[in-house]
Amino acid sequence: MEGLARYGPIIERIEALARARGLSFDPVYFRLTDSDEIAEVASMGLPNRFIHWYWGGAYKELVAQQNKDLFSILELVLNTNPSHAFLRANNTYLQNVLVIAHVFGHLDFFKNNHWYRKSNKNMLNEAELHARLIRRYEGKHGREKVESLLDALLTVATTVNAFERSPEVRRRRLIYFLEDRAPLEDYERHLLQSVREEAEYFDLIQRTHIINEGWATFVEAELLREILDPQEWVTISVQLSSRPAPYTLGYSLFKAIRDGRGFEGALRVRSDYEDVMLIQDALTEELLRRLDIFVYDPKEKQKSYDIQRVRDMLIDQKEHKGQPPIEVEVGHHRDLTLVHREEERKLEAKRIALFLRAVHSLWRNPVRLRANGKVYSYDRRGFSST
Amino acid sequence: MPPLRIHRARIAQHKHDRLLREYLKQNLNELIQQKELIIDGRIKTQIATLDLPTLRYGEEGSLLAQGIEKGGGAAGGGKRGGGKDGADEVQALGGLLGGDHHGRELRVELDFDEFVRLAQEVLLEEIHLPPLSLPGAAGEMESEDMPELDDLDRIGLRPDLNLEETMVSSLLRNVRERGALDYDVDLRQDGWYFIEDPTTFRNHRSLEVYVLDISGSMRGEYLALVRKTIFVLWYYLERRYPTNLRRYVVFQDVATEKVRDDFFCVESSGGTHISTGFEKAMALLEGATEYDRFLFLFTDGETSSGDFDLAKRRYEEALRRFDLVCYGHVNPGGRGIGGFSEYVHENVRRTPNGTFANLVDVESIRAAMGEFLHLLTREDTRGRARALRPDH
Repeated sequence: MEGLARYGPIIERIEALARARGLSFDPVYFRLTDSDEIAEVASMGLPNRFIHWYWGGAYKELVAQQNKDLFSILELVLNTNPSHAFLRANNTYLQNVLVIAHVFGHLDFFKNNHWYRKSNKNMLNEAELHARLIRRYEGKHGREKVESLLDALLTVATTVNAFERSPEVRRRRLIYFLEDRAPLEDYERHLLQSVREEAEYFDLIQRTHIINEGWATFVEAELLREILDPQEWVTISVQLSSRPAPYTLGYSLFKAIRDGRGFEGALRVRSDYEDVMLIQDALTEELLRRLDIFVYDPKEKQKSYDIQRVRDMLIDQKEHKGQPPIEVEVGHHRDLTLVHREEERKLEAKRIALFLRAVHSLWRNPVRLRANGKVYSYDRRGFSST
Repeated sequence: MPPLRIHRARIAQHKHDRLLREYLKQNLNELIQQKELIIDGRIKTQIATLDLPTLRYGEEGSLLAQGIEKGGGAAGGGKRGGGKDGADEVQALGGLLGGDHHGRELRVELDFDEFVRLAQEVLLEEIHLPPLSLPGAAGEMESEDMPELDDLDRIGLRPDLNLEETMVSSLLRNVRERGALDYDVDLRQDGWYFIEDPTTFRNHRSLEVYVLDISGSMRGEYLALVRKTIFVLWYYLERRYPTNLRRYVVFQDVATEKVRDDFFCVESSGGTHISTGFEKAMALLEGATEYDRFLFLFTDGETSSGDFDLAKRRYEEALRRFDLVCYGHVNPGGRGIGGFSEYVHENVRRTPNGTFANLVDVESIRAAMGEFLHLLTREDTRGRARALRPDH
């Protein structure tokens, strides 16, 4: 048998085993493809997303890493209904069996996790719509104008929060504030909404990265134990322990939950939790030491395995995605004031002017940022600080 | 037939590269002056990133990390630092736990070849260089000599191969498969026809020797001018000689051959003995069978006083042994031409195959290229130069 047909029987078998364990899924289309297409989808986030130079840089870097065998993506699966899963044609048969089991873990998570149930499963169509819309606007308003608008929108899009439901809290996040209040033309607001929707789709993935990958890896291990012979299982076990941190950390947390609360307990956690809850509930110092995860001080070259420190830092990273927390000082003013909430940590000064210029291009009135013990401003005369 | 796919990521990459060109245009001078231009085969920049201008922390605080040993194959996104006792390494986990690439820093890092290509684009536009008029078909030399079988390509023909049999096979295959009476040799099917080990059978059509003075004064703007000149030279030479051999020499009191990457990562120090640069360049001619031999030497001309006469003799010798000797007097301050450079400047008019370039700024590169191209495209250059060369 050639191509995807070769995997038909094993897909059926893995699906049946997963269902027998209480897992459930929306329909999925598997697709056998090459590394290049996988790199394309991975760098753009979705296969038909609008074209932007930023994805081009990511794609270029990914292809270069793949060419040097530094890094390669074995699989990709999209949170859509129906879902689409990509298998790499030059994976070995055993690698793709592993990928298929892993994909069924993701599919179960997509269908049953509380946060994913509410997510936009139509993003493939919407992304296509956004891409066409952008092309139309480029034709109507000029490519350069639309491109620089997209640059500014993608810059502020990192302030989305897919979990946040309170309108009051959301308004303190820059992109939502601009959506409500910025004096944009209709097409500009439309583009802002498109970019914001896509950013929320990816924000959910970021905020559930550990639990999602952990669950998929855990399911993969559970199912493959029943399918593979001992020799194949040893190969897979080695691979399981050498994966990147979200996989190993999430996998270890689910294993610990299963050992303490049974498989049913693990199923409940995958339904109700996201990364922060999982970390708060299941992370232990023993696990940190085993995985050799710690807080590292690069100046002193010190490691700390203190559970509270690691937990706090992990949670902080999940909440702010490693970005400085910037909030809008809400009020009905002509000028927009932003505040960096971690005043004691310094921001990279040379990026502030570029950031404020991007915000100013959307707000169109003076913009201020309080950070680094200063007030930075950007208005029609340009950048200044006091 | 598979359905036609619009490759959006490649279009996005094209847009990215267009911006990269703009970035390079603005920063070329700064980039090109980096003392260590190539690190691990790539150009790394210390300055702005080609990135969305999101805010970032300015200083590195404590971070989440994992020991490399146990973390093992963690892939992508992490950076490494030393462990407390230096025995083990740590890998930052920030990017790995974040998931999506969005918001990740993309540093401007280029393949050297890509950097050269982009720099050439910028320079050609900036300098308005003349086009190169090729005397023959692209990549072919005009010559009255009988073609030699061992001179077709960088990986040339082995003289003992059965040329007739290969061509007949090729002809039959083309008649059979395409109905065309062509002799196009298919490398996939006729690979045996070519030399398997190019290091054993080096046979390039041109030999270019680049010699750089790295004495104490050669840095900053000096290096920028030299590198820009070399990149522009490559633009022309690559079009004329798609297959060539480049060798690199640096000298101060003594001269040493370098590989390309080291040539572009020079540490300037010591005094200047220009004669050693010429000597090393000529030593590299041993065993070379190329038709065209070019020497490009870059110096500020401040050779040690005791070296002056020897340098003169070596220069004269180099003129006899190379087809072209291009002497670049690197002079970013635009001062008068003195020292050994003055000697070359005064005597170069009397030599049919020598050029002198006073490299003051990018405009002077244009003048230098004009002269170089004039010599390169002059139909009788080779014949005249060869007549002067004792080993031809």
